[in-house]
Amino acid sequence: MYDSWRHVVKKRKKKKKSRPSALFTSDLLHLHPPQLSQEAGLSQQEALEVLQAVRSGGGGASVSLTALELLQKEAETRSIVTFSSRLDAALSGGVPVGKTTEICGTPGTGKTQLCLQLAVDVQVPQCFGGVGGQVVFIDTEGSFLRQRVTDVGGAAVRHCSLLVEDEEQRVAMTTFTVEDILSNIFLVHCFDHVELLAELHLLPDFLSDHPRVRLLVIDSVAFPFRRFDDLSQRTRLLYGLAQQLSAIATRHTVAVVITNQMTTRVRGSQSQLVPALGDSWGHASNIRLLLQWSGSQRLATVVKSPSHADATVQYQISSDGFRDTDQSGAG
Amino acid sequence: MKWDQLELDPRIRAAVRRAELRRVGDVLCVSALDLQRSTGLSHSDVQHLLATAAGACRRHPPVPAVLCGGQRELRLTVGCPVLDGLLRGGLPVGGVTELSGESGAGKTQLALQLCLCVQYPTQHGGLDAGAVYICTEDPFPVRRLQQLIREQSCLRSDVPPSLISSLQFSDHVYIEHTADLDSLQVCLSRRVPLLLARGLVRLVVVDSVAALFRSEFQADDWLERNKRLLTFSSILHHLSQEFTTTVLCINQVTDVFSRSDSSGPLSSNMSPALGLAWSNQVMVRLMMRRLQRTVVRGDQSSALRRLEVVFAPHLARDGRDAAVWREGVGGVCSSDTET
Repeated sequence: MYDSWRHVVKKRKKKKKSRPSALFTSDLLHLHPPQLSQEAGLSQQEALEVLQAVRSGGGGASVSLTALELLQKEAETRSIVTFSSRLDAALSGGVPVGKTTEICGTPGTGKTQLCLQLAVDVQVPQCFGGVGGQVVFIDTEGSFLRQRVTDVGGAAVRHCSLLVEDEEQRVAMTTFTVEDILSNIFLVHCFDHVELLAELHLLPDFLSDHPRVRLLVIDSVAFPFRRFDDLSQRTRLLYGLAQQLSAIATRHTVAVVITNQMTTRVRGSQSQLVPALGDSWGHASNIRLLLQWSGSQRLATVVKSPSHADATVQYQISSDGFRDTDQSGAG
Repeated sequence: MKWDQLELDPRIRAAVRRAELRRVGDVLCVSALDLQRSTGLSHSDVQHLLATAAGACRRHPPVPAVLCGGQRELRLTVGCPVLDGLLRGGLPVGGVTELSGESGAGKTQLALQLCLCVQYPTQHGGLDAGAVYICTEDPFPVRRLQQLIREQSCLRSDVPPSLISSLQFSDHVYIEHTADLDSLQVCLSRRVPLLLARGLVRLVVVDSVAALFRSEFQADDWLERNKRLLTFSSILHHLSQEFTTTVLCINQVTDVFSRSDSSGPLSSNMSPALGLAWSNQVMVRLMMRRLQRTVVRGDQSSALRRLEVVFAPHLARDGRDAAVWREGVGGVCSSDTET
């Protein structure tokens, strides 16, 4: 914990503080500003800043969990279903809350469709086995069209209304309409990387004010970062972005879903399709999903995941949204 | 965005000036620790600075999707109910639409028709503004445009004739000829934004994108070509989003020799030119094909065409038969006879 001093307090103050016997930030947690200012010889204002920095910087990190507690916590948070039972099975239950999932694919494979589907699915009421949450949708490509959300939302509402069995579900359906779905999607347009970074900087405050948000979608991360002359700066910014996203995912128990484009990599005379934004970006997400065409079939492959082996499933995009190929198993 | 426009403590402002961070956005591209080091400000000052800068740089706070829409949900009609049905009302405003096809498929015909459709008021599917037509390949077919204008009342029987005769169609089609990439860039970054900002134009047509990129680069210049292509497409994308404008890019096609799995099932052995770097930037991809049959309507006959949706966020993969008549491009209906 002593190390974190360097991050939060300027050197001058640090030196003064090390004069008295405060070696660890936790030693300061019980002090009041006047006490600290007297002991360390700082001004009242400086002492207040030091304490604020200690409390905000060190407080959260010092909470440690055992593996068992973590397992229980993960079991409690439900995943967001995709409405394709095969993909849910491949992801062991759907898109996990509290983790980052990246969807890669060439244009027209259904990245945006899956994002829109998830933005609707996250709102499925809890009594139907859903999460009953809200969603922040950051659109960088301008491809969020309300017309399509209305299609997908309408199909989800119809699907749930067929499942109603008891009073609780009947009541829940009164607040699960297409209108409600649209009002629970918080939409942001970001047209370049500066706007995207600005939005992500302010997002934690927004999420604190809206505790029901369970999904953050960025469609796509690649678009604002594709045109960059300074590649080292891009790598640095993307690295910071990945850190911010994983912090948002864990701190606000939000599923983060980002999309990425594909690019051609030429090695000698061979060329192959790889996700854009470089190799190091591959570490940014917990789960990586690849959507592709194989002849006339659409295939989704889980290419990276900490908890399950690689799996490939077939899917289709119908007028209702993202579904299994044989109409039968929605939800 | 200038620093003077933000409400900041003079002390912080002076520190920012010392650190030579000229634009507000620059602050967001530096990590908080680096910022603390370069400005010499305290942790809380830096956080305050970042929050202020971020607030100034973002367009709008998150809004419920039910409230936004308006302009974005408008569609530009293509002037034919059958094809509008395929496109669910027409082309979206905001976002780049690509129309590709072999020569003679009817791409330019459809683009010309859109230049007239855009001039109608919104209740008739237009956007109440003119069009810019950027030619990079052939000279602008001005005679055909005149013919289309004369035949408008025939094509748009849904619009009152008095309204059609009151519109000065040819005054609102701005034509640009660009023979090389540099002049195209100047046109798109200087002249077109001026027209858009004044509200004179809500449709930008580039006919075609492939011509310049295919002719100016050798096969081994692909890195430079991709770079220019990205610059070009991001200008188009920016224009379409900033001014909620329809951007239509006409593209050529290439023959597909080895069937790669990336493009999905193709209905013919052709795919749009310019490769993945370009298709990543396209929101709606349409394709037009010329079929081997002819259709007859009254005294006119035309080669049968097919307009297909390859991908779009709001459309299913589907297609409609169409033909090019004297009055314009239209879907083939049951009364037309095939020969």
